[in-house]
Amino acid sequence: MHMHKFEKIWLTFGISCLVIFLAVVGVSAFYLGNKPPSCLTTVNPEKVDQTKPFNKPGLHKVDGKDWDYELVYVASAFSYNPAKVEVPLGAKVKVIATTKDVIHGFEMAGTNINMMLEPGYVSEYTTTFDKAGEYLIVCNEYCGAGHHLMSSMIEVVK
Amino acid sequence: MAKAELKTKQKTEVEDSSSLKGTLASVFLLGAFLIVTWVGVYYLFVDRF
Repeated sequence: MHMHKFEKIWLTFGISCLVIFLAVVGVSAFYLGNKPPSCLTTVNPEKVDQTKPFNKPGLHKVDGKDWDYELVYVASAFSYNPAKVEVPLGAKVKVIATTKDVIHGFEMAGTNINMMLEPGYVSEYTTTFDKAGEYLIVCNEYCGAGHHLMSSMIEVVK
Repeated sequence: MAKAELKTKQKTEVEDSSSLKGTLASVFLLGAFLIVTWVGVYYLFVDRF
């Protein structure tokens, strides 16, 4: 089959780009272990307040785990519990969140933390808070009349 | 008698359409755009926590 020289060039270019882009996604998922925040852990949405760890929302220091802190959030129409948290700079934190009623969003503006909170499911995201500052958490799934008032604040302090 | 048109000696000039320079350039322009935007988004992802 005759192929023009240029055709060979752009086919090689296109296929290599595809392979590189997919390899990056593959390494991220299978080697670094990145996965969607909803990890198939379930919780009874009617008994969230009595279920560990959601009976004590907030930041907790933990020992013997890959992360230093667990930051537990309970969302309900139209607020987050806790409303404000201080996290020490450089702490490796596992954010664990769920909702008591309808689907809520959990977006920490300006970071990669962006989860959907579904009733009955636990969403989690582990990361190192390595930039100081104030971070606003907003709901980005329309949840009702007070959706736009739903927010929380994380302060990363030295 | 009318001339038969087939007998005219005029040749139609056919443009050489085998040059793919423009196509190559546009493919690489699009490729560069895709790579720049992809790398930009990837950098944002890596830079943020």
